[in-house]
Amino acid sequence: MIDADAGRAEALARRLVETEFAAVEILHPPDAVYLAETVERLKPDLVIVDMDLPDRDTLEGIRVVSDEHPIVMFAGSDDPAFAEEAIAAGVCSYNLSGVALQDVRPVLSAAVALFRRHRRVENELAEAKARLDERRLIERAKAILMQARRMTEPEAYRWLQKRAMDENRKLAQVVAEVIERHEAMGKGERPERNAP
Amino acid sequence: MSKVISLASARKSALPKMRVGLLRLTDGAPIIAAHEFGFFAEEGVETELVVEPSWANIADKLCYGLLDAAVIVPPLAFNIHLGMRGVAQHLVIPYGVSASGNSVTLSKALAEDVGRRSRQDDVPPAMALSSVLKGHFVTFGVVHAYSTHNLLLRYWLETAGIKVGRDVELAVVPPARAVEILATGQIAGFCAGAPWGEVARRAGVGVPVAGSNDIWQNAPEKAFAVRARWAEQWPQELSGAVRAILRGAKFCDAPENAEYTAALLSRRRYVGVDPHAILADLPGAAGSGRGCVFYRGAATFPWRSQGLWLLNEMRRWGLINPALDLHGLVEEVYRPDIYRTAVMPLGESVPPVDFKIEGSHSHRWILDGSLSPIEMLPDRFCDGVLFDPEAVESRLPPTADAVMGKS
Repeated sequence: MIDADAGRAEALARRLVETEFAAVEILHPPDAVYLAETVERLKPDLVIVDMDLPDRDTLEGIRVVSDEHPIVMFAGSDDPAFAEEAIAAGVCSYNLSGVALQDVRPVLSAAVALFRRHRRVENELAEAKARLDERRLIERAKAILMQARRMTEPEAYRWLQKRAMDENRKLAQVVAEVIERHEAMGKGERPERNAP
Repeated sequence: MSKVISLASARKSALPKMRVGLLRLTDGAPIIAAHEFGFFAEEGVETELVVEPSWANIADKLCYGLLDAAVIVPPLAFNIHLGMRGVAQHLVIPYGVSASGNSVTLSKALAEDVGRRSRQDDVPPAMALSSVLKGHFVTFGVVHAYSTHNLLLRYWLETAGIKVGRDVELAVVPPARAVEILATGQIAGFCAGAPWGEVARRAGVGVPVAGSNDIWQNAPEKAFAVRARWAEQWPQELSGAVRAILRGAKFCDAPENAEYTAALLSRRRYVGVDPHAILADLPGAAGSGRGCVFYRGAATFPWRSQGLWLLNEMRRWGLINPALDLHGLVEEVYRPDIYRTAVMPLGESVPPVDFKIEGSHSHRWILDGSLSPIEMLPDRFCDGVLFDPEAVESRLPPTADAVMGKS
């Protein structure tokens, strides 16, 4: 298992060890420099890889070496829907020993579920952060308008909203423009000469 | 006003979205420019650029339909098209994204030895490398087995009598990791696309000793590959996408825009390195002869002869089944017909032929274009060999030696 996220790798390893799959080796990205060598030495049946790591390409080099069992993503690859699901979750696996898909299916399913949950949490965090940033920027744009155009706070907010609506743009874009213009012109100047 | 908006939004909902994959490399510039400047949107194509960390991700996402198109090394496009990754996804290449731009970068110590020997014996770097390496087995990195880098590096080493397996080993090293792996000493050099040679030089880790031009002048580098099904479903949009990229290419190929292009690419979401390291391999700024070409010399044209050269080299190194019909394959994937249909309305003069003899020009030359003559760039191979597409045997018996010599 090759994963940039040590916590996630260990959680998955624990789950797999609990089932019938006893031997899990976790390679952390610093080891991943020796990825090809390590994989060749360990001769695992299956390699599960975090798709955010560039090291996957290193692994692909083995494909050429071991032409007896060419490395194929998802043993059998007779289930494109499952493969798509895994890719969307950000995990892929290589079958090195020719073991059949149904035999490794539980392992892969567990990995996909875990990666998907992880991704969802990450996305939620990113969204929350973006919302916070947007709030902060709106406050700043309002302050600029209040100072430069002597608007009240509700007026400034309405001005931004109206402009976004008139120009069929997102509020965030209008806000960013007001701030950018203000910074470009220096403090105290009007963000724009002709108000709509 | 409201009428315009409703029309625009109605049109928008009908538009297919083109998800385009690319890597952290300088040669994605025309696509990035076309996206950022709204050229795609002007052609009615909504694009989403997805910067992937690995070639494997690009390949698998194309295979399973999570990407519609990609800026890709053509050998990998053939690999996907042939179903060598388990599932086949047919691809078409209607556009050449870039020429040149690669570098062979050696560790500082090795580069110094090679430089000294090269001056002493007055020989090119490949020959100097051959004498320096005598008795020392080293490993070089290439970015993927199915990459132009693997094929170009092997060609270069071979011309100096350096045999892969006997004298050097090749290992796969992701381009964005090449510099740090070179620093650890696990590899003695690498062949990768811009900006990574320059990044290694600036970090004091390595020295680019040769570029694409020292192996094959203005060698074709990245191609724009599209899922054949997408191409069939949305021919108008594909045409528009080709025109949009061509406009991006013209911008990026103008030396006066190099600084702007470097700043754009240096953003974290694209290449994410110092703009000066990117600038070194952009048109006009490159003094090393390894800079990217995006437009000049019909670089945007998907030459079938170049695709055939790549396939022939893939066969030479045992990367594809020798029984495959190479001419048939290149005509299936490389689609100059789509290119011509797309760019003719722009008043572009296009090559009227799909094949040319590769390697016969050591200087600029003139090609008869459809509207006006096209100034072409030198295309010589380092060993002076001519590549005549007609002389390439379409199929070889499956029992043929995997390592086949050039005729």
